[in-house]
Amino acid sequence: MTRWLFIIIAALTLSACGYNDFQRLDEQSRAAWSEVLNQYQRRADLVPNIVATVKGEAAFEQETLAKVVEARSRATSMQVTPETLNNPEALKRFQAVQGELGSALSRLMVVAERYPTLKANQGFADLRVQLEGTENRITVARNRYIKAIQEYNVLFRSFPSNLTAMVFQYPPKAGFSVANEVQIATPPTVDFNKK
Amino acid sequence: MHRLSLAPVANLLHRFARAVLLACAALVVQALPAQELLPVPLLDARVIDQTGSLNSAQRAALHARLVALEQQKGTQLVILMVRSTRPEDIASYANRVANSWKIGRRDVGDGVLLIVATDDRSLRIEVAKTLEGAVPDLAAKRIIDGAITPRFKVGDFAGGLEAGVDQLAARIAGETLPEPTRAQSRGAEPDWGGLLVLVLFALPVGAAIVRSIFGRKLGALLTGGGVALLGFVVGAHLLLACVAGLAAALFALLGGSSGLPHGWGRPGGFGGGWRSGGGGFRSGGGGDFGGGGASGKW
Repeated sequence: MTRWLFIIIAALTLSACGYNDFQRLDEQSRAAWSEVLNQYQRRADLVPNIVATVKGEAAFEQETLAKVVEARSRATSMQVTPETLNNPEALKRFQAVQGELGSALSRLMVVAERYPTLKANQGFADLRVQLEGTENRITVARNRYIKAIQEYNVLFRSFPSNLTAMVFQYPPKAGFSVANEVQIATPPTVDFNKK
Repeated sequence: MHRLSLAPVANLLHRFARAVLLACAALVVQALPAQELLPVPLLDARVIDQTGSLNSAQRAALHARLVALEQQKGTQLVILMVRSTRPEDIASYANRVANSWKIGRRDVGDGVLLIVATDDRSLRIEVAKTLEGAVPDLAAKRIIDGAITPRFKVGDFAGGLEAGVDQLAARIAGETLPEPTRAQSRGAEPDWGGLLVLVLFALPVGAAIVRSIFGRKLGALLTGGGVALLGFVVGAHLLLACVAGLAAALFALLGGSSGLPHGWGRPGGFGGGWRSGGGGFRSGGGGDFGGGGASGKW
């Protein structure tokens, strides 16, 4: 009786050590990460169309446009692999360049409000819709990624699976962070006088 | 011969189970706490109107169109009207609700959520990933701008929604999707029958087994806990799962070994948030909403 009890307990503990769960959650994190990359790429693909449409507008503020083009090239030139997941520095850099592209684009959209011909342009309106949809998709993909790595990291930190992680030397997964929390906290100022 | 005594373990389990059941009971009596985000509404019909903008005839007409769409193509389109989505943006609220409901067939995932926030004067068409080819963002925006908001601007909610549904259905009709099976349009009856049989046979047998191993009181507690857990997993409704668990515990305690337990009540207690409402509508459970679609204001 005692022997059987010990055997049962031993079997349960071993299955609880989480090796299989680590594999499953690692794959899940990678899948979620691929989806995030996919959506960021989708946004990057929209930018040339937007730039081309805006260039057709006669007196458009060139500085804004140049910033967008620049930000896009920086974002697409950064090599991102699934290994970025395990490297917080690389993830931070990736997030920074994507954030710059995002803010350059939103500045472009704000500036475009001042050009009535551009607003009336159906092509530009369509691109706005597509950009908005892509930003939504990015948000959803990021949320799913955050959930996926949360599961992984919880397993990584729980007992006894943290011992398994130590034995096999699994790293914790890096998550998205708010780039500059102070900047986000201050509300944006809208200046209608600046041209 | 030494027999490893399970008494201390049983005692511990007894106290733990009692604590869990007490916690469940506490949750039952506690009033719903104030939430920061809006709760996901119960999916009990294809047209959910929390604002009273549609009268029953208009609701019925829309319902008929949506039933026809599901029978023809298998796609589940749900209309939700709320007063406001604050503090969330309509896009994130719509995505949260749609992913929680998972409307769309299980293996196909073809669902569309049309949500209107009347106080915010905004609406959104949230499209599942499967249908992003049939209803891309631009198409959704055109439907909103062309068919829905002009009518909303003059206060014709029913007309706007009907026009929107017609155009969405036309776009979905053009898409090749797997054929709908007959069982889908039949509704929820087969499942309830199976569940009822399972409950009537499994519960007395299970309770008897558990009782014989652990004794009367502990057996009752474990049966109750097990049923509550099962109910929560199946129905995802904590309140009803706890109630079901308590009922099962009581049943096991009283040792009912004969036929139909009278106090068991309707098996609807198991269903929770998935129960079939007036139209027999149940989510297919396959919808995956990635943030596609478009929003509009009027």
